Amino acid sequence: MGDILGLIAKRLGLGLIILLVISAIIFFMVELLPGDIAQAVLGQGATEENLAALRKEMGLDQPAIIRYLDWLGGAVTFDFGNSIVTGSRVSAIIGERFRNTLFLATYAAAIAVPLAIVLGVVVALLRNTVFDRVANVLTLTSISSPEFFLGYILILYFSVNWGMFPAIASLSQDMSFGELLYRTFLPALTLVLVVTAHMMRMTRAAIINLLASPYIEMARLKGTPPWKVIVRHALPNAWAPIINVVALNLAYLITGVVLVEVVFVYPGIGQALVDNVSKRDFPVVQACCLIFAATFILLNLAADVGAILTNPRLRHPK
Amino acid sequence: MSYFVFGFYALLLTASCLAAYFNKRTWFLTIFAFTLVSFVLGIVGGTSVLRNVAALAGLLALAAMVSYAFREFLIAIASNNMAKELRTAPLTAAFGLFVIFTYAIAGIFAPWIAPHGEAEVIATAFAPPDETMLLGADQLGRDIFSRIIYGTRNTVSLALSGTLMAFILGALAGLLAATTGGWFDQMLGRISDVIMSIPALIFALLMLSIFGGALATDTTSFALLFVFAMVTGLLVVVARAERSIMSWVIGLAVLVAAAAGFSIGMLVLFNPSEVILIMVVGVIYAPRVFRLTRAVAGNVVVMDYIEAAKLRGEGKWYLIRREILPNSTAPLVAEFGLEFCFVFLLVAGLSFLGLGIQPPTADWGSMVRENATLISFGDITPLIPAAAIALLTVAVNFVVDWMLHRSSGLKEQ
Repeated sequence: MGDILGLIAKRLGLGLIILLVISAIIFFMVELLPGDIAQAVLGQGATEENLAALRKEMGLDQPAIIRYLDWLGGAVTFDFGNSIVTGSRVSAIIGERFRNTLFLATYAAAIAVPLAIVLGVVVALLRNTVFDRVANVLTLTSISSPEFFLGYILILYFSVNWGMFPAIASLSQDMSFGELLYRTFLPALTLVLVVTAHMMRMTRAAIINLLASPYIEMARLKGTPPWKVIVRHALPNAWAPIINVVALNLAYLITGVVLVEVVFVYPGIGQALVDNVSKRDFPVVQACCLIFAATFILLNLAADVGAILTNPRLRHPK
Repeated sequence: MSYFVFGFYALLLTASCLAAYFNKRTWFLTIFAFTLVSFVLGIVGGTSVLRNVAALAGLLALAAMVSYAFREFLIAIASNNMAKELRTAPLTAAFGLFVIFTYAIAGIFAPWIAPHGEAEVIATAFAPPDETMLLGADQLGRDIFSRIIYGTRNTVSLALSGTLMAFILGALAGLLAATTGGWFDQMLGRISDVIMSIPALIFALLMLSIFGGALATDTTSFALLFVFAMVTGLLVVVARAERSIMSWVIGLAVLVAAAAGFSIGMLVLFNPSEVILIMVVGVIYAPRVFRLTRAVAGNVVVMDYIEAAKLRGEGKWYLIRREILPNSTAPLVAEFGLEFCFVFLLVAGLSFLGLGIQPPTADWGSMVRENATLISFGDITPLIPAAAIALLTVAVNFVVDWMLHRSSGLKEQ
């Protein structure tokens, strides 16, 4: 067991370092601006006194490294300072939205992950049949389509033509859970379509890769039925790649969410990011980027740890 | 029940019986499964759904016929060697080639094909289609069809240049890292790790929030292009110059001139905000190309013929150009196709968000956004540019699939 714990600790440490480097990139990229944030806020026509006053207020008179440490210290407690456009707390702007985005991503993942694994196994079982070919073309199409294409097609059919689901995912505090699921069904479905296709293809590839192994040959020769070969013999050994695939696609979901939120006007963090990029409200952009990057890294870490934990060779050392 | 329904089922059943009679198992299964599916759909949705199903099947058949004809055409005009390769292409790959060919024609000859100008206002906002406007007018009264044709040129050329930038930088760095090894290799590897652990779209948004807007000027984009060209060129100089000081000096002088020329050339071709988009894409995707090139070249570097070339006293540049590159072309070409798809989707997504290609330049992503209100009236016109994006990505993927299969990168039973 000690080996595994050591490996995991090493991986966690590496993840932490990468997160630190990325937070530095996100912070210091804004420093690349000619002039500084105060200049960007007040515009070209600002007087020297106004600039100096604002710099003092925002703490810009201190060296960049101290401001970075300050910002990082705040970020750990979910405090990202004030917006430079509206002046309100950044955490107040994105706090609620972050929860909404997490809800949408979890909703999509709860449907997509089981669906993708089952379909992936079925397609692997039926490989090189017509069904497999059709599934191949369909999943490829779904992966290749931009999220907004799928989103608008769903809106066109499910909401405009058939009137089954609302096109705009407006949320309010006093909604029941069922109502919430109903209102966010179309954005979740869009994400499910994209992510399922990816996961399904990779699950199929992971299982088919294993089918060439000698122990599968053995199982087949002793007369095990094909579905049992896959479920009993191939699947347990395919867990590591599959967990990897799942985590990677959940990470992908995090970015897919940005476009989907804009299509469905969903009050999430992705939409906040896009709005504030065009407004050039740097503290909000930095906070959103840091949150997205941290989630992405966390999921990648989870994938690595999962792969370590499901590896039988590491779990039962000789 | 109409004559159409009778005819539809009669045709399907005859076809499946014929397939069964001539022992074409796959065909029989396909057609019969299709018959069963249309039974269910017909009972649930009625004649109108059946009509749609028939239209869809007809469209698929048409696509198959077109791709078959196109493959035969390519085989007829290609040289012997190429023709042999092309005969192995599945219909999907032929279809992909056909689509890419069509897009290339549309992009290159856009001004001659499009009936109206790119930003020419010819009607009222959202005017319905008539004999001069195939698809109607957009929110400012411009012809949507013409804008889609011009969009081919703008969107695809931008994505292609972005991919090229990423590819040149990534592949050069990967090849050099594989031949050099040591701390250089380690350093590039770590840098690419860090860049790759920020999601592409998020990183692009971050960079565009800084370089977009007021900073998108000729000077900024020239500076960015110049730095990019210098970094890329420096890799070539490092590989070529080895240890002689003289060749370093000459190399650097040539490099500065070449980088300036390249930057000015790019600024003539693209406007500053597009240049910034290309650079952003290049920086984001170069590490992904680096990873793959490093892995592919890493497998080649350990070969005996590389050892022999080194013993002959050949330099790094010779090794890269004459030994490693020819032996890793197939995976690199496939990777180029894949990267192009990613870049294309990223650029389309950014344009859709209003942060990519700026109006009045016609571009598919922003066209979808601008005309999205039409969708709530059940009009599918705004989806056509989105479908154009999807079609090109699917087409490239089909071709890449075939190439990967041919270079037997994929093991399948």
